[in-house]
Amino acid sequence: MAKKILVIDDEPHVVKYITAFLEDSGYDTCSASNGEEGIEVLKKEKPDLVTLDLQMPGDTGTRFYRNMTKSKEFKDVPVIVISGIPGRHLAVSKPVAVFEKPIDRDALLDAVKKSLGE
Amino acid sequence: MHDLTTDQSVRILDSLPCYVTLMDRRLRVLWSNDAAHRDFGDPLGKTCYELFRVRGDKCSECLVEQSFQDGAIHNKEMTLVTAEGDRIDVLVYSSPVRGDNGEIASVVETAVNISSVKEMQKQLILLGQTVAGLAHGLKNIMMGLDGGIYVVNRGLQDKNQAEVREGWEMVLFNFDKISKIVKDILYCSKDREPNIQEVQPNSVIREVSDLFRETARGYGITLQLDLDEEVTHAEMDPDGLHSVITNLVANAIDACKMDLWKDEHLIEIRSRKGADGSVTIEVADNGTGIDRDTKDQIFEDFFSSKGDKGTGLGLMVTQKIMKEHGGSITFRSRPGQGTTFTAKFPHRET
Repeated sequence: MAKKILVIDDEPHVVKYITAFLEDSGYDTCSASNGEEGIEVLKKEKPDLVTLDLQMPGDTGTRFYRNMTKSKEFKDVPVIVISGIPGRHLAVSKPVAVFEKPIDRDALLDAVKKSLGE
Repeated sequence: MHDLTTDQSVRILDSLPCYVTLMDRRLRVLWSNDAAHRDFGDPLGKTCYELFRVRGDKCSECLVEQSFQDGAIHNKEMTLVTAEGDRIDVLVYSSPVRGDNGEIASVVETAVNISSVKEMQKQLILLGQTVAGLAHGLKNIMMGLDGGIYVVNRGLQDKNQAEVREGWEMVLFNFDKISKIVKDILYCSKDREPNIQEVQPNSVIREVSDLFRETARGYGITLQLDLDEEVTHAEMDPDGLHSVITNLVANAIDACKMDLWKDEHLIEIRSRKGADGSVTIEVADNGTGIDRDTKDQIFEDFFSSKGDKGTGLGLMVTQKIMKEHGGSITFRSRPGQGTTFTAKFPHRET
């Protein structure tokens, strides 16, 4: 079965882009437009990996990460941070990879494969 | 060249366009020229730091003492406070004055007002920050373009018209963003006379709201109009008016997007005719509101609270346009409740 990736970004265009690319690379995807929604989708879809935008309004990206790492079930789900501002990823203590916008697609795919142990 | 009389020498010192003061070893002011007298008052019995209101005590690196000690010229930048309480930035030089016996009898200080240079320095720092900010903004747009192109190609490959269209919209959306940034920068970079014509403000408002309606709906925001039919026509720059409304509505949409605590968001654009013939346009939203720290900075050039999603150009351009019209732009806001921006255009004779 294809691995599932949750894409969290407040820009619908970015969500469309990343999900389209990941689907083309053979993954299932689900998405959320803010951190709160992200937690709901996380519980429902139980993804194998999360890509997280850290510059969403209301700081919900950071909060999402905090809530996720507090839950027993999801604390070990790998997180890839995608951010426009360098240094912002420091809010996430253990990202498996950090990408600045605009992303390098091939590098993103490599990071995804590596974190999923493929 | 002829020798100057004492009288002439004093007159020249008095006419120098800088503050000249003469100090003794105990930092007492022995003499000051007219300019210093005018801006800082009578130096009689005062020390230099008292006269210039630097602080209660002498400066940490006293130029006068240094010149007394090593007989050399010293300089530094300082902020002085005039008798009227204005702060002025000056560049101060100290130089020893020797008596007939060759010993340093006093030290003369000249202080040149460099406030305008300081102001320019500030502008340059701002400019640097703006360029950095713009670069971040452009990164986001690049990501959008990248994405649009990717989705278009994918649609073409799969012969999926709907996907091609979706991707193309992403491309256009980001292309518009670049166009707007470039236009705003050009607008700010030169002085221009507004192109005053007879316009119908209400039609311009309808035009702008039609432009934004779809985008707003996409974020669950209702855009509504409350137009005063008395506002039939006015003398304005049509492009300027269009920019002002566009900027204010775009900001209102951002404020609603960032607000995660209300289920329904509303933006209302209003027009009102004043008794004096002025036209007031308001854009009200129930978004995040503006906190106190941001309130103070909102009209500052290039200021943005939107991270890499803002350039700080929007309200800068808006303010410039309002000034060109002899009008004003103000706002009231409550954090968590919403914001209303008010643009007032004065009546103009045809």
